[in-house]
Amino acid sequence: MGGVWHTAWRRLFFCGWHSFHRGSTARPAERVEPFLRPEWNGIGGAERGLRLLGTWKRCNLGARDPAVQPSRRPKSSNPFRRAQEEEWRRRNKTALTYVAAVAVGMLGVSYAAVPLYRLYCQTTGLGGSVVAGHASDQIENMVPVKDRIIKVTFNADVHASLQWNFRPQQTEIFVVPGETALAFYKAKNPTDKPVIGISTYNVVPFEAGQYFNKIQCFCFEEQRLNPQEEVDMPVFFYIDPEFAEDPRMIKRVYRNCSPCCSLAAFLEQCQDQGNAMANTYDKNVEINWK
Amino acid sequence: MSTAMNFGTKSFQPRPPEKGSFPLDHFGECKSFKEKFMKCLHDNYFENALCRNESKEYLECRMERKLMLQEPLEKLGFGDLIGGKSEAKK
Repeated sequence: MGGVWHTAWRRLFFCGWHSFHRGSTARPAERVEPFLRPEWNGIGGAERGLRLLGTWKRCNLGARDPAVQPSRRPKSSNPFRRAQEEEWRRRNKTALTYVAAVAVGMLGVSYAAVPLYRLYCQTTGLGGSVVAGHASDQIENMVPVKDRIIKVTFNADVHASLQWNFRPQQTEIFVVPGETALAFYKAKNPTDKPVIGISTYNVVPFEAGQYFNKIQCFCFEEQRLNPQEEVDMPVFFYIDPEFAEDPRMIKRVYRNCSPCCSLAAFLEQCQDQGNAMANTYDKNVEINWK
Repeated sequence: MSTAMNFGTKSFQPRPPEKGSFPLDHFGECKSFKEKFMKCLHDNYFENALCRNESKEYLECRMERKLMLQEPLEKLGFGDLIGGKSEAKK
């Protein structure tokens, strides 16, 4: 029993001893040598010693010695199996490369999608977005479509905290696509202090709003009104001639009526058929106090 | 307007004007032209096609007084009016 204890203690001792002396470059022969000394007592000293050495060696593997680090070796020594494993490893690597490439590609596509979608919307005019390619020489060359009369109504809203009196000077105006038109709003500052306001606009219905082009107006820039000052604010706009070709823009046809000489005569003739307009717009201008 | 949180409906995207913003006419220098234009509109049942001369004159006034950038009138869509006063619109 003491012998067993002795053996176990020795095993632990030598394991611990070796881990303390990690990195020792003692050759295997030198390490074996103390086990073969005759002063080892007990039964079968040399064999026991070698057995211990085996244990010790097992311990050795736990504490890695960089000098004798074994290289990764295939799990089997069968050459065919080894070749197959190499093949599998190569295939795995290729598959992994492909998967990584697809993942990176997806990430790139998701980043590129934003400008691409914007481009797509611009070319198709989806959702009322700006249709690119409208230069000022288009105004020069556009031809009014005289048989589509459009009524544009004007509306003005003022933010509660802005103390301007802001209203349109005409409630409606009759235009045709391709013709530039002028409209006026009036703003008055009834207070005794200068007030700065900024305005924005919208056009309804949205599908028709994409044809509404402003050449120049008073919106999107801060406008300052001095105390008790009243100004006229013009809006210079036109409706794109392509409006006439859009099938979504409903055209009202009146029986026994056609725009002949002037709108007044037309309205008179067609009064009984209801409103004499092809489409209705509302232009809302909102002024926000800043 | 665009303040409502309705994600399903289309929202309107305001676009800036092509030639920017009109400077304010603080001194009312072109007020007489504007009055003429508004009177013309009132008389003609707000038909724009009959009052294009007056609108052209208003814009010319603005350009003279430096309240608007100088532009050839063709670029503003008045090409048919430039030929002469005798050019009649329908």
